[in-house]
Amino acid sequence: MAKRAVVQNNMLELIIFSILTLFMLSGAIVMITSKQTLFSAFGFLITMVGLAGMFALLDSRFLAIAQIMVSIGAVVVLSLLTILTINARESNLPDEPNKYKWMVFSSLLIAPITFLLYKSLLTLNSNFSDMPTSTSKVVGELLFSQWVLPFEIVSILLLTAMLGAIIIVKDPRKKEEV
Amino acid sequence: MSPDLFYLLVSLLFSIGLVGLLSRKNLFVIYMSIELMLSSVNLLLATLSKVLGDANGSVMALLIIAIIAAEAALFLAMIIHLYKEIRTIDADEFNQLSEAEQC
Amino acid sequence: MLNIIVILPFLSAFIMAVVYLSNTKPQRYFFYTLIGVGSPTIITILSLLSAYELLNGAPTIHTTLLTWINIGEFNIDISFMADKLSVVMISFITFIATFIHIYAAGYMKDDEAYGKFFSYFNLFIGSMLLLVLADNPIMMFIGWELVGLSSYLLIGFYHTESQNITAANKAFILNRVGDFGFIMGIALLFVSLEGTGFTFSSIKENISLIPLDTLNLIGIFLFVGAMGKSAQIPLYVWLPDAMAGPTPVSALIHAATMVTAGVYMVARYSFIYEELPDVGLFIAYIGAFSALLAAIIASYQSDIKKILAYSTMSQLGYMFIAVGLGAYSSGIFHVFTHAFFKALLFMGAGGIIIALHHEQNIFKMGGLKKQLKLVYITMFIATLAISGIPPFAGFFSKDAILMTTYASEHYLIWIMATFTAGLTAFYMFRLFFSVFHATPKEPLSVHSLDKSITYPLIVLAFGSATAGFLGVNAAYGGDALINNFLALPDRLTHISHSTEYLLGGLNVLLALSGMLLAYKMFAATANEPIENTFFSKLIINKFYVDEFYVMLIVKPIHLSSHLIANFIDPKIIDGFISIQINTYTKVAVLFSKLQNGQVRYYALYILTGLSLMSCYMIYKLGVI
Repeated sequence: MAKRAVVQNNMLELIIFSILTLFMLSGAIVMITSKQTLFSAFGFLITMVGLAGMFALLDSRFLAIAQIMVSIGAVVVLSLLTILTINARESNLPDEPNKYKWMVFSSLLIAPITFLLYKSLLTLNSNFSDMPTSTSKVVGELLFSQWVLPFEIVSILLLTAMLGAIIIVKDPRKKEEV
Repeated sequence: MSPDLFYLLVSLLFSIGLVGLLSRKNLFVIYMSIELMLSSVNLLLATLSKVLGDANGSVMALLIIAIIAAEAALFLAMIIHLYKEIRTIDADEFNQLSEAEQC
Repeated sequence: MLNIIVILPFLSAFIMAVVYLSNTKPQRYFFYTLIGVGSPTIITILSLLSAYELLNGAPTIHTTLLTWINIGEFNIDISFMADKLSVVMISFITFIATFIHIYAAGYMKDDEAYGKFFSYFNLFIGSMLLLVLADNPIMMFIGWELVGLSSYLLIGFYHTESQNITAANKAFILNRVGDFGFIMGIALLFVSLEGTGFTFSSIKENISLIPLDTLNLIGIFLFVGAMGKSAQIPLYVWLPDAMAGPTPVSALIHAATMVTAGVYMVARYSFIYEELPDVGLFIAYIGAFSALLAAIIASYQSDIKKILAYSTMSQLGYMFIAVGLGAYSSGIFHVFTHAFFKALLFMGAGGIIIALHHEQNIFKMGGLKKQLKLVYITMFIATLAISGIPPFAGFFSKDAILMTTYASEHYLIWIMATFTAGLTAFYMFRLFFSVFHATPKEPLSVHSLDKSITYPLIVLAFGSATAGFLGVNAAYGGDALINNFLALPDRLTHISHSTEYLLGGLNVLLALSGMLLAYKMFAATANEPIENTFFSKLIINKFYVDEFYVMLIVKPIHLSSHLIANFIDPKIIDGFISIQINTYTKVAVLFSKLQNGQVRYYALYILTGLSLMSCYMIYKLGVI
């Protein structure tokens, strides 16, 4: 009975995984192929959402939430905002007549790398452990015990990035006027 | 449900990111390709965390998400800056490194 | 004593050079004159003293200054040797040189480089004495080279005109050709002696060690050196051009002393040439041809100094006839007498040139016998002497040579030499009458001459008139003093006194007829020779020998240099290099295309590398 439930569970997981994979891959492909920047951004959004689903599927709930909040809520939305701010017209977009040739060519180049990557990943453990490890509590404890230094460094990094972004965007010519 | 499928997905996502990075001239697409590659690594970390029953992987992934955010802030700021400079988001226009044919 | 004789002129030359270089402005006239004339005077006294010593019976004087090179058997001393031959040489060299120095003090008075001139002049004297007094061939070679150098310096003395420099270069280069032969001869001599000592006396002792073939070669090589230095066919073309130097230089170096170095050298190696009658004959023929050729050319020249230059060459030819036929004493005797009258002729010519404001064409002169009385008289004596009119010096020496040629039974040489003697009288009197008797075409303004210029003329005129008596033959009632004194290995000739008188008479007759011919043609009015016939054209252009040399040697060198400069170097050698350069450039252009500044492409290169590495790893690790 229990075994059957596990099998059903597995089937369900597989279906969910397949759907998510479909979404992610199609999102990624849309992202790299569409001429309009906004479409690419939507493709990216879909991929990110799918990734959050994947995290959830891997029992990393905290990570899934963080993915949705940070990646989607902040990064993707920020990207979209930027794209809208720049508001590049069709004519301003880069002219890429050989886009597909480039893609085929680079895909051919990258295929061996992908293959090697996949093959080397396959050498890792091919079974999930049964322990429910990545609960929020465990993650929180780890974050504030063993990982507290990297955590702080990342916070400084974020602060620096914020300042850097402000400085980069600031128009040097305006400063002279003021 | 085996992690092999996840590995395959990770590889594919990473490769798609690379292809996008190489073949497109649009700065935004290049940026998003890089994000995609980082995220695929994140997925791998999460997968390994589950495989090994070790929460450290999740923590690392969490930190990487923060890094992604920082990177996004800087990258977008740079895109805006470059766009202001020469009114384009064509990566090939930024070829000051070459000796001749300055834009 | 010999040390001082050689070193003193070098020392004075050095002192004057240093003083001159410290201040090149024309000043210190007195100082230069004192040192420049003083040192040859002292040397003359010393030379005469050493001659006196030898006269009193000393066989040779040897002095060793220091050992120069001492490597095993190879032992070269800087040492000097005065035997009878060299004593005769140094006596008249220093004697004449002193008077020419006095003359030069007047002649060069207004020259800016007065100090430089005397420095060079003393350097020449020193080199010449080194050559003459050398104890071994190496020292002689050094002197030989140094006289060449000072001759070069003095020919190019008026260095502001490029043609003088060309003349100096020509002299130097032709002398180098001769010197090459000379050094080859010395080297061969040294090698074949196999280390049995390398002084003249030891060579003389061991000369029988050398096989005759080698000795022949040595003799010819040494004579090549003499050819260059003494301006014989075919290396004579430098001598007429050498007249570009100041006239005292022409008088001393290119008439009286340096050019006779070749004759001296042959006489010095008489112990070699004595064994080589064939080479001697060759030398005699070269001399005869040179004498005749130069006399013919001189008859058609119009530059006073060039006439004298060709005459010098002609007289040198006589000397070579003599030494070639084994009459070394007669040759040296002619060197001796020739030095007097030829120096006198040049100095007289120099006086005329100065008096006429540097006019050298004899056909623009004329009627100078009144204005330049002293020069007229002395030149007359010298002209008589060179023409071979008794009892002046030239008669005795020339007669002795002509007699030798007759006695040697090489009648071709005799005919050429006798004909040349008549020709000599003709061209010398041609010069003389044109300058002093002919009516001038335009009135000439004449300088008066300095006493320092005219007095040496008187002394040398006296010498020209009387020097011949030192060597009067037995036939004329003399004892041939100089021949006996020299004691060179002369080939004995048997000739009756009556034949001698006949020959002498013939010579005088020829000379007189040449003189008469010249009187008829030039005494009243002198006209410049015109290139109207083929023959005169040929002679006025000196048989086109210069042009021939240019065509034969200079042109091919030019042509090959041209070929190398315009074809081989730029096309072939540079071609190889430019092919490489082009290849590198093209490859570089190709690679710089990769470096196009677009980061996307750089990423592509990285990925290409990664991809290939991945392929390799897949294949090698067998991941599939």
